[in-house]
Amino acid sequence: MNTWINKPTRALEEFLQTEYQNLLGNGPFSEGNGFEKLGTYKEIIEEHSHCAGCGVALGIRLAMAALPSPKDTFIVGTPGCSFFSLSQAAVNYSNTAFGNQNAVASGLKRMLSIRHPGEAKDVVVLVGDGGIADIGLDMTLHSWFRGEKITTIMVDNELYGNTGGQESGMSPQGRIMNMAPTGKKFPKIPIYDMAKQSGCCYTAKVAVSNPKALADSVRKAIILAREIGPTYVQIYTPCPTNLKVPSHQTLKMAREAEKGYYGFEEFLSSEGEKFLDAMR
Amino acid sequence: MYAAVRINEIICIGCKKCIYACPDPNVLSFDEETRKVSADESRCKGCGLCVSECPKDAMSIY
Ligand SMILES: Cc1ncc(C[n+]2csc(CCOP(=O)(O)OP(=O)(O)O)c2C)c(N)n1
Ligand SMILES: [Mg+2]
Repeated sequence: MNTWINKPTRALEEFLQTEYQNLLGNGPFSEGNGFEKLGTYKEIIEEHSHCAGCGVALGIRLAMAALPSPKDTFIVGTPGCSFFSLSQAAVNYSNTAFGNQNAVASGLKRMLSIRHPGEAKDVVVLVGDGGIADIGLDMTLHSWFRGEKITTIMVDNELYGNTGGQESGMSPQGRIMNMAPTGKKFPKIPIYDMAKQSGCCYTAKVAVSNPKALADSVRKAIILAREIGPTYVQIYTPCPTNLKVPSHQTLKMAREAEKGYYGFEEFLSSEGEKFLDAMR
Repeated sequence: MYAAVRINEIICIGCKKCIYACPDPNVLSFDEETRKVSADESRCKGCGLCVSECPKDAMSIY
């Protein structure tokens, strides 16, 4: 995206909404307006319909603020709560049929590298746990096996939030949900370990209560995907609505998980390490 | 607007913890000169995450 294309002519400028003016004047595309400066510029996302205290919304907001080059980023989504804020963001975005995100992203990335050779165009899949671990599992794994240069980010709320609280492959064993009244019968699917086994050159597991590590992993994942191969970031984003927890306790829940099974973890392949060293 | 955050600017130390805790965009902003956080109440959903993160009890939901 060329930001000058979106710049209105002077004569029309005053008729535009202030949000749009701010986006162009002091927005995410201006030099230096990144994650560290959050709160001092107009963010890439506009008002959305996520519930109050939504972990997914916070995860997406932080990940979007950490994009290394938002104007050259293409977000690929799929049904799930994540699209409430993704569709409200000033970034190239496409939804897909549920589960097809990594197949669509692979094609998009290949097309972009033919159309814009030598330019960094980041294709980022940003979807829920059901989208990756359940319906989209085969397409996700195959994109990793094929070594597609895309970043996959999971916002893991451990259930199907969008459809009212069914169990997902990522729900922990025993978890009782609206539509899983006797509790889930098997443990969380180990997607994080599968990513390492399936060809991802960088993987990270982080909770939304750790914003610095979250931003750091998203940045690394996207930059490594430009040159080396597929990368995966799994963000724990608890859902207060479906877990029936007060909305101000989302981060408390995330911190508790951080002490247990959702502690910060990172993996970098030797090739990835060489690349990052050369950049430094 | 049913519930929204209110910030006591005298107590706020500008640590920005709330800015990284708010799920909604463009609600909380940080003034680099005064080093204080302020809120756009019309965008706030009143979830209270910023209140629970604030180390100085400078925020409340009303
Ligand atoms: C092919 C197909 N099957 C089912 C659905 C209904 N559906 C929409 S979102 C969703 C669950 C999404 O869960 P998850 O990926 O965990 O995202 P969340 O809403 O929890 O963020 C389902 C089953 C659909 N849109 N398409
Ligand atoms: Mg989910």
